[in-house]
Amino acid sequence: MMIVSETLSALFSVLVFPGLAFCVICALAFEWLDRVIIARLQGRVGPPWYQPVADLIKLLAKEDILPTGASHTVGAVLPLLSLASVLTAALYVPVAGHVVSSFEGDLIVVLFLLSLPALAYFMAGWVSVGVYSVVGGSRSLLQYFSYEVPFLMALATPAILADSWRISAIVARQPTWGVFTMPLGFLLAVVGLIGKLKRDPFDIPKAASEVVAGPLTEYSGRKLALWHLTVDVQTVVGIMLLVNLFLGGDTSTFVPVAGWAAPLLFAAKALGILAALALASVLYARLRIDQLAQLGWRVLAPLALAQILVALWMVG
Amino acid sequence: MDRMTIPIGPQHPLLKEPMSFNVTVEGERVLEATMRLGYVHRGIEKLAERRTYIQVVHLVERICGICSHVHTTTFCDAVESLLGLEVPRRAQYIRALLCELERVHSHLLWLGVLAKNVGFDTVFMYSWRDREIVLDIMEGLSGGRVSHAVNMIGGVRIDLDDEHVRGILERFDTLERQVDRALVLVEHERTLRARTQGVGVLTPEDVRRYCVVGPTARASGVDVDMRRDAPRPPYDELDVNVILHDAGDVWARTLVRTQETRESLRLCRNLLANLPEGPTAARARRRVPAGEAVARSEAPRGEVFYYVRSDGSDTPARLKVRTPTLPTLATLPGQLDGVAFADVPVVLAGVDLCIACADR
Repeated sequence: MMIVSETLSALFSVLVFPGLAFCVICALAFEWLDRVIIARLQGRVGPPWYQPVADLIKLLAKEDILPTGASHTVGAVLPLLSLASVLTAALYVPVAGHVVSSFEGDLIVVLFLLSLPALAYFMAGWVSVGVYSVVGGSRSLLQYFSYEVPFLMALATPAILADSWRISAIVARQPTWGVFTMPLGFLLAVVGLIGKLKRDPFDIPKAASEVVAGPLTEYSGRKLALWHLTVDVQTVVGIMLLVNLFLGGDTSTFVPVAGWAAPLLFAAKALGILAALALASVLYARLRIDQLAQLGWRVLAPLALAQILVALWMVG
Repeated sequence: MDRMTIPIGPQHPLLKEPMSFNVTVEGERVLEATMRLGYVHRGIEKLAERRTYIQVVHLVERICGICSHVHTTTFCDAVESLLGLEVPRRAQYIRALLCELERVHSHLLWLGVLAKNVGFDTVFMYSWRDREIVLDIMEGLSGGRVSHAVNMIGGVRIDLDDEHVRGILERFDTLERQVDRALVLVEHERTLRARTQGVGVLTPEDVRRYCVVGPTARASGVDVDMRRDAPRPPYDELDVNVILHDAGDVWARTLVRTQETRESLRLCRNLLANLPEGPTAARARRRVPAGEAVARSEAPRGEVFYYVRSDGSDTPARLKVRTPTLPTLATLPGQLDGVAFADVPVVLAGVDLCIACADR
């Protein structure tokens, strides 16, 4: 009896909450909110709430075409691999204290799993043989090298401060929110996340006016749907990771919260970061890839290094 | 790195009209760009030789979907000078009013296209929203948002009453407020400047050699503006500030056009305030005396040139249209040479192409 109930509860946590179903629902809800916030800031109305679901269903039902010479197998494996890796990453990121699995070093696993889609994205451009895809793919790789180093360094600072690479331990060992002790690290992490998600103003690999849709130009139907879902889930996981590492998860620095208020606080923080991402995409023009590389290596990376040194000094 | 030839066009998200570029890149650097034109050639000049003058007014209106009014104005001007016809002052003012409104909406449209091409969607949304107000005003005046059918030989078909003027001025208040807000964003946002500064530079020598006109020339410090240099009434009574910048890059073109937008709004207010009383059209004969005439106007993109030759019948013997996009096109391969691939859309947007005008 014990085994059955344990199995059921494990299945529930993997498949429903905080696992698969919760992740996908969150992903679609975040996409909608993101689009509505951006639309309102730009003086538009924005889509109705079911638009992301409708888009997903529509794409799933549509004809699946790749150009002659492109491999259908590789083309299908890449989005599946990306989606699987971001969903797996979601299992180790606590949602308001709930987590499927947790162990010392899970932060590194999450960071690795969140990086896999970037490589798959590059490959997707390469195997779909179109010129726009190839140019977009090589851009995405260049972009990866620009944002990833400062991003990883920024996310290492809370781990150094908490003396643990376990996300739930980092949450527990934040007497004050990380954003107050390492504001620079938080800022760099947000900028890195924008680069990772290829959102405006870092949407260089898929810049419509140059490379149409970048590596995904030739994709359609189910494969494209999976790619879109990957980005949405990645957004959610990235945001929740930042909430845990820098905003103290569901804890509060000022007033003690408990019971139903804690999850609400967690949600509010996540939506706050989403709003910041939306604001950044409204406020800036797209950078050129060489400008992004300069920004990454001349500004972000040294700042991240400085933040790590400060963190090491604080630890003593 | 490998050389690759990337086709841009005839269908591409970057282009609003069909034309075609083949851009050879090495990595992100453009080595060579070649272009192909003529996808929207409609043979309008030849067609005009088979239509009466009255019909040709409507034909030349279809040359361009943005600056349609300035085409008919220039054509009518040429024919009227052949006829020796004195156009009533009120008609001249209404023509000029629509010309300036057209400039405002063309510049706002251009700003949106540039913003879209550099990935700055907010400015795109703002400027196209504001442009709607201008289109509404024009629709209120003429019944058409794009093709207005306002001009006829000898004057204009429409007239304004006090209510029109009041309605326009009210809309202008909103328009000026919103445009100012959007333009402040444009002039002060550093990422936009980073993307446009030093891109697509045309020196004053280039401008003179290729005979580039309009805002593109003025952004290179070349002081040409047909409204001042070849003034047709009522521009001789208006004090047109010609806006000049020296840098010659896309950023300078942006500043020229944003400031010209404000200047045109000021001119519109001026025209409305001083609208003379009187008739709106003079009676024109159907047959035009033999002879030839030219007319020039400052379209939103620069000088539009019309040549009309008449053989004394009611159809033109020859019509020649020179549009401002034509010389600009010739400068493009040079401008694209050696830029980053990501700057190709910026260069193409910067010169404000009107392919339909150039192809005719």
